[in-house]
Amino acid sequence: MNRNIYCLDGERQSFFAAVFDAYNDQNAYLSSSANLQAELGDICIRVEENEEKTARVLKKLKTIDADAPFDIATILRNSAEDAPQTALEYIRETVKTGRSVKGKLSSPWVRRAMDLRGQVLSESHRLKGFLRFQETLNGVLYAACSPDHLVIDLLLPHFTVRLKGLAFVIHDVKRGLAAMYDGKSCVLVRAQNAELIVSDRESAFSSLWKKYYDTVNIGSRKNTRQQKNYMPVRYWKFLNENASGEKIDGENGE
Amino acid sequence: MIDEARLKILVDGAKYDVSCSSSGSRRKNKEGGVGNAAFGGICHSFTQDGRCISLLKMLLSNDCVFDCKYCPNRRGADVPRASIMPEELCELVMEFYRRNYIEGLFLSSAVRVSPDYTMELLLRTVKLLREVYRFNGYIHLKGIPHADPLLTQAAASYADRMSYNVELPSEQSLKLLAPQKTKESVLLPMRQLEEGRREAAALVKLRTGKTERKGTGKFLPAGQTTQMIVGASPESDGKILRLSEALYRRFSLKRVYFSSYIPVVKDPLLPQTSAGLLREHRLYQADWLMRFYGFDSGEIIPEGENLAMEYDPKSAWALRNMHLFPLEVNRASVEELLRVPGIGAKGAYKIVAARKFSTLTFEDLQKMRIVLKRARHFITCGGKFFGLEGEERVKAALSSAEFSENARQVSLFEGDKAGLLLPPSQTPKLELQVKSQKVQKFLLSSTPEIARSALDGQL
Repeated sequence: MNRNIYCLDGERQSFFAAVFDAYNDQNAYLSSSANLQAELGDICIRVEENEEKTARVLKKLKTIDADAPFDIATILRNSAEDAPQTALEYIRETVKTGRSVKGKLSSPWVRRAMDLRGQVLSESHRLKGFLRFQETLNGVLYAACSPDHLVIDLLLPHFTVRLKGLAFVIHDVKRGLAAMYDGKSCVLVRAQNAELIVSDRESAFSSLWKKYYDTVNIGSRKNTRQQKNYMPVRYWKFLNENASGEKIDGENGE
Repeated sequence: MIDEARLKILVDGAKYDVSCSSSGSRRKNKEGGVGNAAFGGICHSFTQDGRCISLLKMLLSNDCVFDCKYCPNRRGADVPRASIMPEELCELVMEFYRRNYIEGLFLSSAVRVSPDYTMELLLRTVKLLREVYRFNGYIHLKGIPHADPLLTQAAASYADRMSYNVELPSEQSLKLLAPQKTKESVLLPMRQLEEGRREAAALVKLRTGKTERKGTGKFLPAGQTTQMIVGASPESDGKILRLSEALYRRFSLKRVYFSSYIPVVKDPLLPQTSAGLLREHRLYQADWLMRFYGFDSGEIIPEGENLAMEYDPKSAWALRNMHLFPLEVNRASVEELLRVPGIGAKGAYKIVAARKFSTLTFEDLQKMRIVLKRARHFITCGGKFFGLEGEERVKAALSSAEFSENARQVSLFEGDKAGLLLPPSQTPKLELQVKSQKVQKFLLSSTPEIARSALDGQL
């Protein structure tokens, strides 16, 4: 079957306009990905942002399920290729059922939608713990990360409350995005590379932390499988502690 | 700044304390301060033994006047001694916290000079941290047995959570292995703190007319916990669970931690072998049944007995109560579903939400990722039964399910038939006596946030 591919412009704003256009189109396939494998016979339709259409879709959704806009926004943060299509199907299911379908896990689309949503929320929760700030010379805290999904702005409310008055930067290296907070307000900017000059005390506390990490481990109870379950290896790159436990050249491991 | 050698000594002394959770408090970041507490808790790293690092776990000093046999820091041991000044510790906490290494501080101490002296030092440290450094992150403070109640009371007003370790589950064992500790020295301060917490909550109720929200409040918002060593003394699992249950009910404890005995110290009174992690695991499973699944200790195990090693305590209970099963998943209540082996809190709530839309089939359950390798012997879906019949066969299947690595999902067409249609008379409904309101509340004492943390293994 040939598909009508609705190409979103990469930003999420055009999603609801696409939903408006594609809702009754049984061959619709929503995609925001540039590397989508189009098949012979697929028709590509460019969708542009449209405030009126967006407002109408959102209004309808809200009357049925007040949580739906948040859930949809969360699903769209997921970098999976089928996220926009899943979100469309979730909206269709919601409208068809006439009430919140969050729990309707016997439906494959709802299951997929809840999985995508869960992946985003759990990654955002994980990063609240796994982010590591470094103190730069001018006192700004800087943390780099490379999350699977677009979550750095979800982290902002957590860290702005916690580190109120302290300037910090959370840098999503993969997407080239940085969330910056100057102690009062935050902005999200495009940023590729960051040059870092760390403060004098940074290395001292960093190595105290490494020492702490190595010491608090109970050697006789090695269980790296569990460790990796809770803290997947893809996050290790940005941790300053030595999670793999391998001896590093040039350090005299005790 | 503290040097690495002292850090190592002080962390080594504290690391066997199991408690690492940073949950249960909603402490806010006050004006001009740093930090707050996350109610569900946050893990910041995981060590190679699979445990999470949430708090900076440290002793103020490891120079002890007590002589507990199992403790590597006991008076008689020949180990390097060290201590840290309150100011040094505060600096370390603040710097670690700003860098997002930790969620807060877990502070304990060996009994230096005297219990009062040590407690006063602990009090001074947390007071300094809160008032001068304006730290609003999580603080878990270890209480010192035999310290003056006034000092305990004062320290509790700065901490989020306090804990006294029961250590050994009976008075005789305490006398033998920890001669300076008595049952009273641990239980009295626990009672005192619980009374303090209740008084504070009553005052809030009087002032505002509303019940205090969980995790708020000025006095120990995250409550108390305790820890017991398993396997260093001869007490049975049944006895340990009864003691835990009593502590939950009487002192509203948030958690009882079990720590499988590790022979760090050689002593003729102590066993030379580790108690094994499986026993610890089974105790935790039973503990979860009491806290999240509405079981009481009597249902789980008789007092003098140990938990079965072949299968988990819920399976063991179900096998003893086969007359209550199978349950129809489309009709059973949440409380009943929670009692099906293999169906956890997450699964039970998923089922209840999903069946509002359509009748659930066995295939639906599989796709919803309800783990069925145990549950299938105890449920029917739309009257169809997919498990094995006969108690012995179920028993064998359950114990092999437990030990098969990467157990695969059961196939619909495993064995000979695609589901057995039972006549309605054979699908009895489990009659659960939901007792008083109080019991009900005990069952549901967890909040969704806490439950999520528990399921993620962060609690």
